[in-house]
Amino acid sequence: MTLSRRSLMAGAGALAGATALNGPAATPALAQGAPLNVGFILIGPVGDFGWSTMHDQGRRRMLEVLGNRVTATQVESVAPPDFDRVATQLVRTGARLIFTTSFSYFAPTQRIAPQHPNVMWESATGTATGPNLAIYNARFYEGRYVQGVIAARKSRSKTIGYVASFPVPEVIHAINTVMRGAWSVDPQMRIRVVWVNAWFNPGREADAARALMDQGCDVICQHTDSPAPLQLAEQRGNVFGFGQASDMTRFAPRAHLTSSVNNWGDYYAERARLLLEGNWRPADTWGGLGSGMFRLAPFTNMTPEEVSEATRIRDALAAGTLHPFDGPIFRQDGTQVIAAGQRLTDDQIRAMNYFYQGIDVAMP
Amino acid sequence: MRLVLERRAETPLALRIGSPLLAVALTLLSAIVIFAALGHDPWRALHIYFVMPLSDSWGLQEVAVKATPLVLIAVGLALCYRSNNWNIGAEGQFLVGALAGSWLALATHGAPDGPWLLPAMLACGALGGALFALIPALLKTRFGANEILTSLMLVYVAELLMDWLVRGPWRDPHGFNMPQTVIFEPEATIPLLMEGGRLNIGTPLMLLVVALMAVLAARTLKGFEIRLVGEAPRAARFAGFSETRLTWTVFALSGALAGLAGILEAAGTVRQLQPAISPGYGFTAIIVAFLGRLNPVGCLVAGVFLAITFIGGENAQILLRLPLDVTRVFQGLLLFYVLACDTLLLYRVRLVRGAAA
Repeated sequence: MTLSRRSLMAGAGALAGATALNGPAATPALAQGAPLNVGFILIGPVGDFGWSTMHDQGRRRMLEVLGNRVTATQVESVAPPDFDRVATQLVRTGARLIFTTSFSYFAPTQRIAPQHPNVMWESATGTATGPNLAIYNARFYEGRYVQGVIAARKSRSKTIGYVASFPVPEVIHAINTVMRGAWSVDPQMRIRVVWVNAWFNPGREADAARALMDQGCDVICQHTDSPAPLQLAEQRGNVFGFGQASDMTRFAPRAHLTSSVNNWGDYYAERARLLLEGNWRPADTWGGLGSGMFRLAPFTNMTPEEVSEATRIRDALAAGTLHPFDGPIFRQDGTQVIAAGQRLTDDQIRAMNYFYQGIDVAMP
Repeated sequence: MRLVLERRAETPLALRIGSPLLAVALTLLSAIVIFAALGHDPWRALHIYFVMPLSDSWGLQEVAVKATPLVLIAVGLALCYRSNNWNIGAEGQFLVGALAGSWLALATHGAPDGPWLLPAMLACGALGGALFALIPALLKTRFGANEILTSLMLVYVAELLMDWLVRGPWRDPHGFNMPQTVIFEPEATIPLLMEGGRLNIGTPLMLLVVALMAVLAARTLKGFEIRLVGEAPRAARFAGFSETRLTWTVFALSGALAGLAGILEAAGTVRQLQPAISPGYGFTAIIVAFLGRLNPVGCLVAGVFLAITFIGGENAQILLRLPLDVTRVFQGLLLFYVLACDTLLLYRVRLVRGAAA
């Protein structure tokens, strides 16, 4: 399947035109010296200990950095069908910069942004910009590569279990990168995937992790937001896992290996500052380990040799000397995507819709 | 000295009207205490919570949009409950209605044809919901299976059916693999009524249904039959009413209304199918039905009130920076007080002196 971004945008535009959903109240002009009102729409509860928690911390960090030049408003656990109402209400109450912090909001954000041209929109993990729509994300796959390397060192059954949310490209390329990292240590490694079809659902996440462990997976990766899979690994014993979005060491002191720790605060502060100074542009930001948009939590439950290997690989990724998407890359069925010496472009990574060899599940 | 509850022989009208009002008043009182404890000006908070959603056209439209599915489902459920048929599966009937109607929208996607499409979608939705609701009716009348269990279990069947369809055969090929269908064509979308809001023809339809149901319940033989079967099944049998036929009728009606709500939501507010299409409307409507005293007009009032607490809760998050949990606390409190006040309806509190327990 090829993704046609143009057709998606055209569809969204036509729809917006057809339904003529204009907010009645004009957005109040930002008075000189008045604080900038920044809105945040979160997909999960602030207390998910993962993705949404870290956006909340980013908001706090922005307030810390910019002080009384900004105010922030946050709405949590917004289901996608409720997005339009919440976003409109934020605009009506004076928000001029709105961060919509889930891929599930990307299409709705694209639809609503043209209706409020005076408001700047920022879509986390979105894939296309617009005149008043910026996108931002971190290259979490770099952390996934390190996870793959560590998992290959830790696993005795040579099988990694992967608790995945939705089969969107962001999640697919993360799974592929874990596979790539694991292969770099041991080509015998395999990955099993269970789809939870939710970003945050501790019960289902734990069920998925349990099923994977019962099938012999002894290292669990997760692309869902709660600590439930990691907690289950701790209970089982002899199973390891990685934390998602925040440092989850405390949930599984004996099972935790490392976590990918998101840091949105500096980005939020920078974007708000640019808008205050009139220099905001619809940018496409995709920062890696070197950018500070995320880091890896201290390695735990690993031998000194394993730690030094993981550290070396992390630093090479941050420095850009190691690239997870260098060729050759093979699909599940063995066909070649790119040859040795080539590298996937950012757009190819963002549109990835196939699994690598060694991943034990069909594309849903 | 102790307090005892004595069953009333009959309930005075003043109490029947007064009891829900007392519940609302107690909820507001608790709200004031909670807001004050959280360090907010209680009057401003109450204003944001309960008045702001009603203070302009946009807010009113949003309340109407939120209340429409709740009321549509609740009036159907009220009929069921009055006749002693416990349909707990409106959520499933809502989803199947959405699926059945959307099937037409998807089948004609890319080549929508004629103004018949939308009415046909609505009819399909109602039919789908009705057929799905007839399963527990059949199981009850034919095999004596408990309809509370069967209708509730069928909710999960409907959820999984929806999940499978939007992840598999009906998935939007350009949707980045998200579990959702294409956005419906404008011809398959419920028309909006006003500029600058999301009010669509679902709301007038809902009001029409409420009026029809009010007439049905109060002025027709069917309405009498429903009440009689519910309150005095033996007398109903002597009068020659068939319980079996009535079970089928009320299940089909409430299923059709839930299905209609489902397709109105899919083709109106959401404009596509996705697993999260209902934030539990089918279950919240049970609350609405009881809050509205199983009376169609009461359901309308209760549905609007619950919609206000939803929208007000969002406003409170936005303007007061209150957490979402506070909204949920209010809804819980309201129910708690309604049930508590119901006790006053059915029982009389009496002070007994000196009696041993």
